[in-house]
Amino acid sequence: MLGTASKRQGVHPPGSAEELAGSRVLDAEGREVALAELWRDRPAVLVWLRHYG
Amino acid sequence: MQLHRDRDKFDAAGVRLAVIGQGTPDHARDFQRSQHVDLPLYVDRTRDSYRLAGAKVGTLGELLGPAVVARGLRVSLRDRVRQGRTVGHPAQLGGVLIVKPDGSIPYVHLSDDASDVPPNNEVLAAARAAAEG
Repeated sequence: MLGTASKRQGVHPPGSAEELAGSRVLDAEGREVALAELWRDRPAVLVWLRHYG
Repeated sequence: MQLHRDRDKFDAAGVRLAVIGQGTPDHARDFQRSQHVDLPLYVDRTRDSYRLAGAKVGTLGELLGPAVVARGLRVSLRDRVRQGRTVGHPAQLGGVLIVKPDGSIPYVHLSDDASDVPPNNEVLAAARAAAEG
């Protein structure tokens, strides 16, 4: 139901941002951005929301 | 998500604050307007970054269990946040990571249920420490 997990999952944070760096997202104008750009020049607080709503 | 209310403090600490959500750029812009969020917003349509960040998909209880709903209502009332319609995978949970330019991750908070969000002051303290070290 609702695409929920059938069993409780654990969370698995990455040890480093190496894999995350290659992930690409779109900005609010639809331009593609590599996540690595966000912490290239200073620390970044990245907040993943459940959804925009 | 109320970190945007302390944006000036994060800026003063020399830390970038960015939000990633599901949906489309249109959804992000609508959210920006409706929630008065003055932050860079991004969308991840495949949820690849969620997976790589370690965020999980919740069970029904982790989304709609009584304790979860009660905590969520308390936070909504305290922060005066109105829940809108769900966009994207409805069971996807989120989290917060702080990433330094060297790729290290000195702070992680991955939501265990739909009401599980870190306090602003905890994230801010971690951000300041990341900027200093």
